Amino acid sequence: MEKNGAEILLDTLREEGVKAIFGYPGANTLPIHDGLRDHPIRHYLMRHEQAAAHAADGYARATGKVGVCLATSGPGATNLVTGIATAYMDSSPMVALTGQVPTGLLGTDAFQETDIIGITLPITKHSFLVRDPRDMRAALRQAFSLAKSGRPGPVLVDLPRNVLAGRCREEEIRPDEPAVKKTGNGASLDEAVLDRIAQSLNQAERPIIIVGGGVKLSGACRQITDLIERGNIPFVSTMMGVGAVCIANGLNLGFIGTHGFELANRMIHQSDFILAVGTRFSDRSTSTVESFAPLATIAQIDIDPTSIGKNIKADLALVCDIRQALTSLVGKVDAKEREEWRERIRKEREALAEKNAFNGCGNPGRLIGLVQEALTPTAIAVADVGLNQIWTIRSWKSKAPRGLLTSGGMGTMGFSVPASIGAKVANPDRNVVAFTGDGGFFMNIQELATISTYGVPVKIVVFNNGHLGMIRQIQDLFYGARLSACQLGDRVDIVAVARGFGIDAERVDAACPEEGIERLAASREPYLLEVMVDPDHYVYPIIPPGKSNVEMIYGRSD
Amino acid sequence: MNGEEHILSILVRNKPGVLSRLAGIFGRLGYNIETLCVAPTLDLAVSRITLMSRADSQFTDKVRKQLDRLVDIVEVEELPAARALQREVLLMGIDCSGGRRADVLKGIDLFGCRVIFMRDDYAVLQTVGAPEETETALQYFQSIGIRDMARTGIIALPKEKK
Repeated sequence: MEKNGAEILLDTLREEGVKAIFGYPGANTLPIHDGLRDHPIRHYLMRHEQAAAHAADGYARATGKVGVCLATSGPGATNLVTGIATAYMDSSPMVALTGQVPTGLLGTDAFQETDIIGITLPITKHSFLVRDPRDMRAALRQAFSLAKSGRPGPVLVDLPRNVLAGRCREEEIRPDEPAVKKTGNGASLDEAVLDRIAQSLNQAERPIIIVGGGVKLSGACRQITDLIERGNIPFVSTMMGVGAVCIANGLNLGFIGTHGFELANRMIHQSDFILAVGTRFSDRSTSTVESFAPLATIAQIDIDPTSIGKNIKADLALVCDIRQALTSLVGKVDAKEREEWRERIRKEREALAEKNAFNGCGNPGRLIGLVQEALTPTAIAVADVGLNQIWTIRSWKSKAPRGLLTSGGMGTMGFSVPASIGAKVANPDRNVVAFTGDGGFFMNIQELATISTYGVPVKIVVFNNGHLGMIRQIQDLFYGARLSACQLGDRVDIVAVARGFGIDAERVDAACPEEGIERLAASREPYLLEVMVDPDHYVYPIIPPGKSNVEMIYGRSD
Repeated sequence: MNGEEHILSILVRNKPGVLSRLAGIFGRLGYNIETLCVAPTLDLAVSRITLMSRADSQFTDKVRKQLDRLVDIVEVEELPAARALQREVLLMGIDCSGGRRADVLKGIDLFGCRVIFMRDDYAVLQTVGAPEETETALQYFQSIGIRDMARTGIIALPKEKK
């Protein structure tokens, strides 16, 4: 039986377990969209390709499975770029499919031609240009294998129209190339290094574990929890690591860095041994590298060798799968009380407590807590970028795996609404709520149409302060209060706009949101809550630019 | 860029686009590629890239880790000068006019150059040698007058194969 390239593509996607793809058609993807008419895979027509990439990313983050997005050549493909980069920075497994002009026109500046492989080279793990329908299946299989192996990430497959339309018989399809390199998977567990890490942990007086996003990616949340509980080892999280460990027993110091908790930053500064797991020590976590953890010996475990020593020099380094490493490490670590170290932490925590009502997030923080209480414990929060992101990361309690998604590395405004669509499509039985500011909300506002057209019952909370709040805070504190290009104004009626898109919505004040939250939680349809926030309401404490992790300030006067 | 010489011998899959992936890593890390040679190996599906950069001590660690992540890169090996045999081919178009001919012939003898083309006022010569020999020949003929020049960049093999 003969098939065309598009049919081979769709059948291979199905074999890879793909149930949904997020896309937007164009002339050069039409063979695929034609094939989708008779195919069990569901295609969600987004309103912008950037949102298709974020939805695929949200799908991937909420499940650990590979998310798939599809765009046409030229502008469709370039519109994916921000979404691909977002997935790349947070190691989210994604396959991005792009239409391309027919092979005979490649390089001629044909209509809607762009070298998308060239454009995405630095933000993909790998990419394929399929030149023959007989190579379609092998390329797709390799793309999926690469996207989820080792340190996960996006892989792009470029699909010329004549290859999608070209036909071949089943027996002509070329077999997979045997030796596709699975980057990072060659690493094996070095027990000797692990023994030294265990020994250092056992001997340390003030150890801390840094939980990075890699812990979640390798499915090691239980293993790291076991390790923390067995050794009574206090831990901090990076922004991407928040939610990996769901225990509330005084060992959790919160998340570190520029917008993190003062307790976490202070204790890191005092610790004598740090075990960093699945983190590259990004600048948002460390602030100034020279003054980071001055007393500590540092051990690092990561599957990606480029993450080792990238920003902070590691005294002990282990390149291997985190789950495998932690499983073995738990057996080597002594059960200890660590009374003195925990007492020191307890005192610091008490001293800082009164400075930190609602984790320093005031009414928005309180509101996020109330929303979470009103939803089922498996609810997923999707944070956007800016003040709303910090409020959400600080206030959303980790109760369920993959329960908190955000664009950490790339800091992509407009991520939350489309990503929440992907998360909800992947998890019809879990509540999904996007928390965004008015700035990020407007960046992908067109996706309200996707939400209402498909009836994807996501909940959206828009914190409206009429400003780009985090920019305003930085200008206010560090640019002599000279506000510039951060005022969005109050002329747009967000509730009316949402209703215009066919989505139920209401406006509440941040100080008394209870009734609105009840309706938001109870709704079985998409629902939007606009929360009016005082623009002077910032996130404190914060580390000023160029300062170290222990120089957090609580206001302009500090 | 100043710094010590690093020679990398890299086996890659012989496919379109591989060189741009590789070169992108050097560019993003801020390292200049001083010389570059690419040719197939005995296995036509695999090419060897030999390249030289002058760089700091972090070079090998940084570049190698990034190169190892590329799917189409099969093997990366650094060849320290002490245990590598290095050769380079140099072609020079020399001005032989106005009584320079005697010096040119002397140089051909001195450096064992092959004469590829010669007429009264112009000759194209070839040298093959270790980098120092190439540099010395280049200096000698520069003092006579080089009109045109092309060199291949270094290729290298380890003295003993593991």
